[in-house]
Amino acid sequence: MKIAEHLEFSTFNFQSSMETIGTQVRLPFKRALAIAVSGIRIRLGRSLVTVSGVVLGIAFLMSNLTGQIVKTALSEEREQSQRVDMMMSLVNAEVGSLEDRTVAVAAFGRVTATDLAFVGRVNSSGPALFRAHGLDRSGLTAVSLQELGKDADLVFVMGDAASASISLQELTAGMASPLVLDTQADREYTGEVGDGIRREPFFGKQAEDMKEEAEVAARTERFRVTWILVISLLVTVVTVANALLMSVTERFREIGTMKCLGALSKFIRRLFLIESALIGMAGSVCGALVGAALTMVIYGAMYGFGKVLLSIHYGQLLLAAVVAVVCGSILSMAAAVYPARVASRMVPADALRSTV
Amino acid sequence: MKMEDKQLEQLFRGENEAGKLDHVIRAVDVRKVYTMGDSETHALAGVSLDVRRGEYLSIMGPSGSGKSTFFNMVGGLDKPTEGKVYIDQVDIAQLDPYELAWLRCRKVGYIFQTFNLIQVMSCIENVTLPMAFAGMDSEEARDKGIEILERVGLGDRALHKPAEMSGGQQQRVAIARALANSPDILLADEPTGNLDLKTGQEIITLFSKLREELGVTIITATHDLKMLKSSDRIVWIEDGLITRVSKPEDMQIELADIEGE
Ligand SMILES: Nc1ncnc2c1ncn2[C@@H]1O[C@H](COP(=O)(O)OP(=O)(O)O)[C@@H](O)[C@H]1O
Ligand SMILES: [Mg+2]
Repeated sequence: MKIAEHLEFSTFNFQSSMETIGTQVRLPFKRALAIAVSGIRIRLGRSLVTVSGVVLGIAFLMSNLTGQIVKTALSEEREQSQRVDMMMSLVNAEVGSLEDRTVAVAAFGRVTATDLAFVGRVNSSGPALFRAHGLDRSGLTAVSLQELGKDADLVFVMGDAASASISLQELTAGMASPLVLDTQADREYTGEVGDGIRREPFFGKQAEDMKEEAEVAARTERFRVTWILVISLLVTVVTVANALLMSVTERFREIGTMKCLGALSKFIRRLFLIESALIGMAGSVCGALVGAALTMVIYGAMYGFGKVLLSIHYGQLLLAAVVAVVCGSILSMAAAVYPARVASRMVPADALRSTV
Repeated sequence: MKMEDKQLEQLFRGENEAGKLDHVIRAVDVRKVYTMGDSETHALAGVSLDVRRGEYLSIMGPSGSGKSTFFNMVGGLDKPTEGKVYIDQVDIAQLDPYELAWLRCRKVGYIFQTFNLIQVMSCIENVTLPMAFAGMDSEEARDKGIEILERVGLGDRALHKPAEMSGGQQQRVAIARALANSPDILLADEPTGNLDLKTGQEIITLFSKLREELGVTIITATHDLKMLKSSDRIVWIEDGLITRVSKPEDMQIELADIEGE
């Protein structure tokens, strides 16, 4: 009774006045960054565990990407050597061994890697003379188009130009039995095809069928690869999100304490976002390096290091690394947004009670 | 009989000897209901209390009586379901987040039974954290942090981690941290609850010393009768209600009785 009376009596003394309460300073980004960095450094052990979660996820993604790049490169190389084999067997069927023979090659337009590999194979099978026009490679004797056929057993024509700037007669002038092997069946030559000149395409109908089959196989392979990458991305998302979720929720109590000490919710959110971005970037870079290196070592051990290192497209590899790092950093931040928001909005009393 | 009534009135109104009012905290009919599923807990069932500036107030009560809940309301760590809390005559329910953070940072220092130090940080880092939140630059904060640590008797432990210290030392660090931004009010929720008798006594002595030297208002919750001697006023709370307000002098006989038993 007494208490109630007194309260009524004195309540009027206490109207709100904002004179005595100030406004908390908003710490600049630099300050938040400094606190986040020192936070990571101070709890280095725990940070490393979180980082390794990210490393694991990104390494998985990167190793799948690298694996695809290496496999594609290796299968391209295998396909090329198959084609060179086919070309060589045609050559051998036509003229037998190339040892001590005189051969010549004319290139019109751009030549493919397969063509170059074929030229290399011919050169290494021991011809007495290997003349070339439009192709500057060591071991080949550069001559004019007209001199190409002189005493030659065989003339190759390659390159992507649809027409050659010479007639077959001129090209085969001086050959005992004129024979031209062309990489394109429908290349046009100037003038008439002379009598007694044989011109064969390297790849007949059968080869075209094989090419089509390979394309179908490649399409199924592409689908499989996409599937694997999607799965690996999901695994990465879960791993990274889990690592960061843990690192935030286990610090609810600490967040409550920081709020008691005057931290703004906004500041706490920012702190965690900066921290997870840093952890995400560091982890992603490490993960990309580890993933790529590990995969190359495994493929290198299986197919030979030289072959793997030489056949890879390094541009693709770099692109994959950039994708993985960007993915990892964004994922890490995204994974921290939700728990950081929950934590920063918690009433300090509740945050302090939590016992995670 | 009349005289006692007058004294009691003064006590309730938090008047000082001269009969002047200077309230740093004022709680008016504060209620807090926790709802969990179907069950409701009335942790505070209407508590009104005025606290004078510079007062050393003890809140006594058994476990579960609502002491911590009252602390959270008074310290701006939670919102009451009903009722108002004024700090320096400002209704803290009206404060925006920036003002509330300012209040927690500079006006009130919190001390907990479980210390709540940030385990991965050293003493000095714990103590300077609130200064960083207040925008103080780190060098100045460091100097001030060392000074405060010296004040609580831990000048030589600045670089130690909480895990390397005894409970009493950790609580001293927590007190140093609470003092970081020279608050007007120290809120201590069972500060000796996790400490042995002797260490607890040292912490209580420290509180008295801080009150003398700095003039801070100290409110402690406790169920340790030893804490009562140095306080100006004792508020008894039970089942979320204030049952009694007394002065330590009145308690001497009761204390003697308890010690005699
Ligand atoms: N967050 C909460 N949710 C539900 N009930 C709570 C919560 N906090 C406290 N209580 C209840 O409120 C009552 C008072 O608790 P508390 O203030 O912690 O008491 P004390 O600090 O005096 O031991 C207790 O019955 C407790 O179970
Ligand atoms: Mg309690």
